Amino acid sequence: MTTPETMAAYTHTEERGGDAYVRKIGREFLVDVYSALRSVKLYPPDNPVVQKAVDEVLRVSEEILSRERELEVRVSGEFIFVNSTRLRLDLDNYASFGRIIAVFRNAGIGLFRVVEASTVRDWLVFLTLLQSPSEGDADQRLVSLAERLAAAEVRAFDLGPPAPEDAEDREKALEAAKRTYAQSLTVTKEVINSVRMGRSPNIKRIKRVVQGIVDQILNEETSLLGLTTLRDYDEYTFTHSVNVCIFAVALGRKLGLTRIQLYDLGLGALMHDIGKARVALEVLNKPGSLSDDEWRSIAAHPWMGVLQLFQMRGKNDIPYRAMIIAFEHHMKTDLTGYPRHRRPRELSIYSKIVAVADAFDAATSRRAYQATPFSPSDALGEMRVNPRRGMDPVLVKAFTSLVGHYPVGTMVVLDTLELALVHSPSASPDAIARPMVQIISDARGNVLFPGVLTDLTERDENGTYRRTIIKISDPDRYGIRISDYFV
Amino acid sequence: MTAPSTAQTLPTTELQPDEPPFAPQLVEELLRQLARAVKTRQLYLPNNPIYQRSVEQLQAAFAPLWERTSELVVQISETEFRWCGVVVHQESAGGESLPWTCYKDGLRELTLLQGVEAGEITVFLDILQRVRKSSPDEDDLLTLLWEQEFEFLRYRFVDLSIDTNLTLEPSEESSREKHLPIVEIAREAEEEPEAERQGIIRMEDLDATLYFLDEEEIQYLRSQVQKEQGSNLHYNVTSILLDIFELQGEDAVRDEVCAIFESFMPQLLMSRDHGTAAYLLREAAEVARRAEDLRPVDRERLARLPESLSAPGVLEQLLQVVEDGDTATSQEDLEALFQELRGGTLGTILGWLGSGRASNAAMRAALEGAAKRLAAANTGQLVALIGSGDAGTALEAIRRAGELRTPAAVAPLARVMAGQLPELRRVAAQALAQIGSPGAMRVLEGVLDDADREIRITAVRAVGIHDYRAALPKVEAVVTGKAVRDADLTEKMACFETFGLLARDEGVEQLAALLSGRSMVLRRRIDPELRACAAMALGKIGSPKALAVLRSAAEDKDVRVRSAINRALRGGDQ
Repeated sequence: MTTPETMAAYTHTEERGGDAYVRKIGREFLVDVYSALRSVKLYPPDNPVVQKAVDEVLRVSEEILSRERELEVRVSGEFIFVNSTRLRLDLDNYASFGRIIAVFRNAGIGLFRVVEASTVRDWLVFLTLLQSPSEGDADQRLVSLAERLAAAEVRAFDLGPPAPEDAEDREKALEAAKRTYAQSLTVTKEVINSVRMGRSPNIKRIKRVVQGIVDQILNEETSLLGLTTLRDYDEYTFTHSVNVCIFAVALGRKLGLTRIQLYDLGLGALMHDIGKARVALEVLNKPGSLSDDEWRSIAAHPWMGVLQLFQMRGKNDIPYRAMIIAFEHHMKTDLTGYPRHRRPRELSIYSKIVAVADAFDAATSRRAYQATPFSPSDALGEMRVNPRRGMDPVLVKAFTSLVGHYPVGTMVVLDTLELALVHSPSASPDAIARPMVQIISDARGNVLFPGVLTDLTERDENGTYRRTIIKISDPDRYGIRISDYFV
Repeated sequence: MTAPSTAQTLPTTELQPDEPPFAPQLVEELLRQLARAVKTRQLYLPNNPIYQRSVEQLQAAFAPLWERTSELVVQISETEFRWCGVVVHQESAGGESLPWTCYKDGLRELTLLQGVEAGEITVFLDILQRVRKSSPDEDDLLTLLWEQEFEFLRYRFVDLSIDTNLTLEPSEESSREKHLPIVEIAREAEEEPEAERQGIIRMEDLDATLYFLDEEEIQYLRSQVQKEQGSNLHYNVTSILLDIFELQGEDAVRDEVCAIFESFMPQLLMSRDHGTAAYLLREAAEVARRAEDLRPVDRERLARLPESLSAPGVLEQLLQVVEDGDTATSQEDLEALFQELRGGTLGTILGWLGSGRASNAAMRAALEGAAKRLAAANTGQLVALIGSGDAGTALEAIRRAGELRTPAAVAPLARVMAGQLPELRRVAAQALAQIGSPGAMRVLEGVLDDADREIRITAVRAVGIHDYRAALPKVEAVVTGKAVRDADLTEKMACFETFGLLARDEGVEQLAALLSGRSMVLRRRIDPELRACAAMALGKIGSPKALAVLRSAAEDKDVRVRSAINRALRGGDQ
């Protein structure tokens, strides 16, 4: 049974598990730190509100220290780790985590550790200085903060810079993402093709694929989000389904859905267009305008998806949420759109999430009837400002926050006249216009492959940004195939 | 991934020492107990004491282990578990071997952390049991493990269902040397007025409110997620199917939806979503009535849905599922579902009610309502059920025939009265009393001297209430007979009062004699209790003549008689 394939596969094993206590107390600690940061900013130090907030921070920090013997907060990308346990983002801590990441980043801190017994005064000084970073690059800001703490005789804390992103780790993450994407694409293709051939595919493999996407998003979403630029990698229907699944799960994660909820959402997202497998390919791929009958046939795919999902069910479970998502994903928030319905209905939030992900991926993809796709940022703008699109505005906002003002895969021109592709949104919520980019051509026009990963928040010794986006551009004009830079 | 706070950091798999840190016997014992618990779980339900004992023994086997470590990592192969390179459990490959069960679905390493024994180990046992029983189409071990948020159990795996060697490659074009028209880029960048540049961040774009959710928006999303989690998916999908059926007119689509309805009903019932099942049946009937473009075959299939629910076997199963269920059942939902039951189910329902099998309070109440509705609408069937061989069914049918005052029930009730079953006879007598028709009274007249006291009382009261004067001679014979002297006060009262009601003024003389203690008929000194009954009977007559007799005896020496006279003069019990 131990075949070479198995052994090879074994090298890709994954591990799962968790630590509930640290997750819970860590969340509590960070929410308290956030409250204290706010009160320190708003009131003088002797104000009772400040005293109470800092007391609470001290209390929880002491509880963690007494139980865990250590208290270390590490910020990495958009994740926060307390004592090496990554804390889960949810709606209750959404604002506080984002703010803390931003404050740490602005101060040049990647690592914060309590090294000896702290006092209320220690925390008060630290939280105050944290919010008034000095000028200079990240290292300078960190050194300055450490010096100011020492000058104030605060020695309870140890500060460290952000860990340099390990190229090997990044490569591993990308490889894992590519494997997940490729597997998802393969299974999606098999499922849709077998439906087209009149067979009833088993949902078991689809479940495994969605579980893989959820795990990948929970562990490191950037690489997988980057792969959504693979819109021309295979037949649109397949890549689109996988992309919508990735976007939906990533958005769901941002909204704090649990792992099982993300799975339900992901399954529905991956299968949202399954009804199209019942639509004739010549209609689906028709470049010109559609006749009434052809349009009716296309517009039937949401409800045909419901019927198809009944055919696909596993022995024990019926994918009810996936059915609802398939039925509702073209309905607008005012319940117009299609398909028609007679009975009272309230759109599921899962359907609304998938509708946003679907609209974004569809608008930015080249299709038979869309030779010139929207740029990612234009697509976002359209979704945001055009009420006729019928998107939930709060979800569009959350989605914009997920993908950034310059979504992954956007091609930009820098003030250095270098061309770059947006790799990931900036980890700092304050740096909306300064994402991480992959520079793909130097200032003389030489193409760099696979490109140079660069953080646009980097400043020179004078505190001036080294590079700034001056405009976005169309990769087709330069014969750039975006997906090549993400695989 | 990190170890939980309670565990010490242990070497990872790759760093396992050559020599085990302690004797492997402890691990062997633990895995032996694990394998034993797995086997016991196969044979017994989770609440079985034998299984529970095996779990306790397994939990106990963890204790000595946790004195030496806080984490146990075992590698899994087809036939064995290894710990620190040592084989600690071995079974032959295939079949129901524990290593094979894990290995075949891709599990390659299992890590148990201190704390797993408290609860997660039983979840793991349940999953192994599900996997052993599952067909190839069902979820495998990895899928089921994934669905659990284990805190003290970790695993490494190989996904055998998917080609793990798949990956994506850049196009050949990507690695070719290329030179971009930099002059053009520069010129465009410079010539295009800054204000018109595409995609440039403007001040308004920097407004954080465009990107970050405020508290109100977070609340909105939270409420949406909560609503989603609390929503009834069955109901939603049923509503979708009904919409598709009604609004998409193609025959093939309607055939497909009808087939789904037919297979969906048992699913709904099995999952105890009675409200949605009722909704489906109700709406299906409504669609059949409303939609003008339905083919007769569609109408027929829709009509068959409630009929299928009403098949005796199906209803029996439904009731059994509710009865066996360990979660609360909504009475309202059940009532809605039972509203859709057809008359043919009356026997089953009455059988459940009569036998006492329906111990679930919500179900019993809903069944009562259904029985009432169906009995009223199907008296023919109800009457037939009086003669049911099942005593419980017959009992309930008799009760309901009485409540409904069904004259058609008199004949079968008379047959019951002629039978030998005391409880049935008593209930039948009451039913006849409720029906109150001349036919019913005739039957009751025949049992005024029945051997069963309850039947005698029911019968005598009934003939009085219904003023069945044909029974007067027989009642008179009772009140003047010897047997009444030995009866208890309740029966005496019933007999005398009925006599008063039926005899009216004609009975005053006889009753006056009894009241005075001078009855020629009884020919002896009359018991005060009987005299008191006579007083009450006179009160029932209530005529001037009767009242005059009562007044004349108002100073009787016996306190019981005096009291009865006073009560009778005041209008009896009223």
